[in-house]
Amino acid sequence: MASALLLARLVTPILLASFVQHASGLWPIPRSLSTGASAVKLSPDFVIRLDVPHPPEDVRAAMSRSQSRLHSDTFQRLALGRSSADTNAVKHAHVLTALSITLHPGSSVRDIAQETTRAIDQKDESYELRIPISQPEATLIANTTLGLFRGLTTFEHLWYDANGTKYALDGPIAITDKPAFPYRGFSFDTSRNFYPVSDILRTLDAMSWVKLSVLYWHIIDSQSFPLEVDAFPQLSAKGAYSPEEVYSRDDVRHIIQYANERGIDVVMELDSPGHTTAISAAFPEHIACPAKSPWSKYASEPPAGQLRIASSSTLEFARTMFSAIADTLPGTMMSSGGDEVNLLCWEEDEQTMSDLVTRNITIEDALNEFVQTVQDVIIQHGKTPFIKSDMVLTHNAPVVNNTVVVVWQTSEDAASVAERGLHLIHQPSNYFYLDCGAGEWLGNDVLGNSWCDPFKTWQRAYSFDPYANLTTEQYSLVLGGQMPLWSEQSSPENLDPIIWPRLAAGAEVFWTGTALPDGSSRISANTTSTAQALARLNELRYRLVDRGVNAIALQPKWCALRPGECDLDS
Amino acid sequence: MRLIAVLFAVAHVSGVLALWPLPRSLETGTNALKLASNFDVQIDIPHAPSDLKDAVSRTKSLLKSDKLGRLVVGRGASDHNTLQRSGSLRTLRVSLTPGSPVRSITEEARLAIGTRSEGYTLQIPSDGSSATLTANSTLGLLRGLTTFGQLWYEASGEIYTMEAPVSITDSPAFPFRGFMLDTSRNFFPVADIKRTLDAMSWVKMSQFHWHVVDSQSFPLEVPGYTELASKGAYDSSMVYSPKDVEDIVAYAGARGIDVMIEIDTPGHTAIISAAHPEHIACAQESPWTTFANEPPAGQLRIASPATTNFTAGLLSAVARMFPSSLLSTGGDELNTECYVQDAETQADLKASGQTLEQALDVFTRATHAAIRAEGKTPAVWEEMVLEHNVTLGNDTVVMVWISSANAAAVAARNFRLVHGPSDYFYLDCGAGEWIGDDVANSWCDPFKTWQKSYTFDPLANISASQAHLVLGGEQLLWTEQSGPENLDSIVWPRAASSAEVFWSGPGGDLNTALPRLHDLAFRLRQRGVKAIQLQPMWCALRPGQCNIDS
Repeated sequence: MASALLLARLVTPILLASFVQHASGLWPIPRSLSTGASAVKLSPDFVIRLDVPHPPEDVRAAMSRSQSRLHSDTFQRLALGRSSADTNAVKHAHVLTALSITLHPGSSVRDIAQETTRAIDQKDESYELRIPISQPEATLIANTTLGLFRGLTTFEHLWYDANGTKYALDGPIAITDKPAFPYRGFSFDTSRNFYPVSDILRTLDAMSWVKLSVLYWHIIDSQSFPLEVDAFPQLSAKGAYSPEEVYSRDDVRHIIQYANERGIDVVMELDSPGHTTAISAAFPEHIACPAKSPWSKYASEPPAGQLRIASSSTLEFARTMFSAIADTLPGTMMSSGGDEVNLLCWEEDEQTMSDLVTRNITIEDALNEFVQTVQDVIIQHGKTPFIKSDMVLTHNAPVVNNTVVVVWQTSEDAASVAERGLHLIHQPSNYFYLDCGAGEWLGNDVLGNSWCDPFKTWQRAYSFDPYANLTTEQYSLVLGGQMPLWSEQSSPENLDPIIWPRLAAGAEVFWTGTALPDGSSRISANTTSTAQALARLNELRYRLVDRGVNAIALQPKWCALRPGECDLDS
Repeated sequence: MRLIAVLFAVAHVSGVLALWPLPRSLETGTNALKLASNFDVQIDIPHAPSDLKDAVSRTKSLLKSDKLGRLVVGRGASDHNTLQRSGSLRTLRVSLTPGSPVRSITEEARLAIGTRSEGYTLQIPSDGSSATLTANSTLGLLRGLTTFGQLWYEASGEIYTMEAPVSITDSPAFPFRGFMLDTSRNFFPVADIKRTLDAMSWVKMSQFHWHVVDSQSFPLEVPGYTELASKGAYDSSMVYSPKDVEDIVAYAGARGIDVMIEIDTPGHTAIISAAHPEHIACAQESPWTTFANEPPAGQLRIASPATTNFTAGLLSAVARMFPSSLLSTGGDELNTECYVQDAETQADLKASGQTLEQALDVFTRATHAAIRAEGKTPAVWEEMVLEHNVTLGNDTVVMVWISSANAAAVAARNFRLVHGPSDYFYLDCGAGEWIGDDVANSWCDPFKTWQKSYTFDPLANISASQAHLVLGGEQLLWTEQSGPENLDSIVWPRAASSAEVFWSGPGGDLNTALPRLHDLAFRLRQRGVKAIQLQPMWCALRPGQCNIDS
């Protein structure tokens, strides 16, 4: 810690000086970063050279993607005149001929995908990157191939384009980096509206560019069941919107492999026992109150319908379904959801009531049994179970000790979860919900706004403090967090614009943590000023667009080209 | 009106009619009718204009390419049996009522606002005998073709309706049904504008209000003033050349859309200083909050005779690029402090003995005289009437934007007006603050939902004797936080809300509107416009089941 502090102090003046001329646009900003003021460029025959014996296939593929993007990226520096402003600097820049990539001696050589799917607290994503101004080779070193992958991502984002020449203005650069939190996610709802595989792959690419580490896939819900399950093919055959709107087993395998090779683990959520109406299309016997009216009595949104938790055959069905799906998932995490269960749905369900009488148990007993049943399946498959916070805080369900609780209703719930000594990830609706603020989607509610108004701006998400209201002893319970997109009003048409670049705010919150590399607090009064974050986020946005992701503009281009001139006080 | 209401209620029960905007008079049946495989549109007009022929071929091609399944569970797969017994439509006969002039759609669309003929009558028998479309103008025929194109679904390879016979007599309640796009804060390529014009035409919009330049960039290449774009555009690829303008204007005209260009003056002009610093007061002056509503500050030097001449010349040159009879000189958000602190302006005022308001009047009279000399009628933002005392011609069109409450005051001054109120029609609201170092929300929060826009009453607080002053309205996209990346998703289908308010008239029912708007949004997506989903698809397939009280 002492040496990191010393380094941070050294970095401060350099970083400030460099901002005056040119912001280094890394996002998320590395934990430790030192930059100079010398121009550096890549030689026309620049190569990325892997000095690792028997390199895994996905490492070579990642290198080759990086190499190819160094050619195809056409992003020019956001400054008046763009690259023409730097013509002279580029001409006299120090030439780099190679990036040499190595693992620390003694490190084991595993696939990126393998490293990515290790237990969440055992991943090593750290790396060190050096861009010299006197030697011809840059160096990247790490303990794992996953760390190398993170470093390659950083390396790609150092360069601007000037007629095909890639250059930076702030050499030498020294980066020593690792994430503040291992869990940095995006939660994605593919049930309310469906997204083709290609949209998910593009999203995974963009996620990897901001070093997100988890896709939390809310794959099914009450509206549709797009997941093909071998044990129950009827689930998607009858519960998907259409035969074209199904993720086949191959699709899922492909998506997970694609994600894992990009440093992203996949946590699949099978939300239960609520949010399951779509199951009734194939198995009406397992669902209480399906599409019952008025829906507002029986569910948080239409259509109503929940698994019959008191029925032993439904428990068996849930066990089989969880098991069949868990069998297909390589990661070490899986979620049983558990949000928004509605007791009235069961109280008015004759079969549930008779099951309760027969077995002489209460609804809460049945709920506990259900949670234990599905958690058991998850654990038997070697995975850590995730659960939504209301199952713990509202229903007091007896979850296993290593459960990870997804805190969603409000950021204030995190402290209550931590008090119980449970691990948690932050997904608070009052900071991170990407869907809020687009108005009411229910019919016949003329001037209704969205339930979680207002729109969560990138500034709002960025201001999140993962340790708020927690004691230092509880800090270790926080694994990270994720921004979710619930898809009632979203679909492939607006996927990119509604998540990018806002999702990147969450990525930096959980990679960089609470302090910027200069030692200052990431969360302060001027945290979203141009100097701190906006200029870098503008740069990320233009890079995303350059790579084919339809990220929205955060400001008029006039402002993006003139960092600082569109601040409130400029 | 009572007849229409009853018929409409019946149509809704049968469940599927998806026209948007809703025709003013509509009768539908309950028979199935399919398009024959050799279906054709026959134009019974001698020497039919080529843009009408083009509109017919576009319609025919959309009939084939839409491939929209009915929005019901099963998407109409079960309609197959019914269709085997149904009539088969072989011909739509298109004709003008006897004695009507044969002019191109483009010419008709560019007639002075209020004098255009957009009405049409469409009859589709259920027995397979020819359907007929008649109108008094080719523009009316275009509107009717648009309606015809929205009637059909596809299932099992058949293109069909379940609601024959159909009888429609239609004409718009208001002539100005618009969409405004700001292409200065962020730039939009010509292709994006054309796609937007297509979508606009599919909901029968009549007016594209092009806010082409502003303080941030000057993307319009104006003959004689090319330095403005060469120095003021974001870069050389972000310029609308005269050829681009010609292309856009022609594309719009052929689709029944007139293009009203706006050169916002004297405020919102900072970027002119890139080429002509001598004409701009307080250019990029700091703190911008003192001198402008948003950065960068900078306004034309209205007290300078040279600047006035320059502006009048520029506006004349722009007027010559655009065939519309309307041209907006803008006039919003003028900042007094900018001039108070500008030594040149103060010296000019002193020399002429004018107050600032007098200078503004002289300036405005000069610019309006210049465009009138080119045959244009000026349009201005509401402040020119409500906050400043400038001399305006009686026929000036006033654009109301600050608040819907201000329309009555404009009408009281006896000016024609167009509704674009920020509290109903601003498509950009609700996306948070774009100014740096500020965690506030957008100034015009909250997000304007389609429902909110749909409840707008164009005649609220306006007396019957003033009603004729209301030309219509428009939804607007200011692009501080928008670009080509989110153009479709931020505009569609919300902009269709006002298209129906101003075509069908106010007072539409939101519950029956929602399934129709779903239908439109699905059709837009089939046609390549990225309209957002209004609800989970589960709801779209089950009208009424996702109401708050269902």
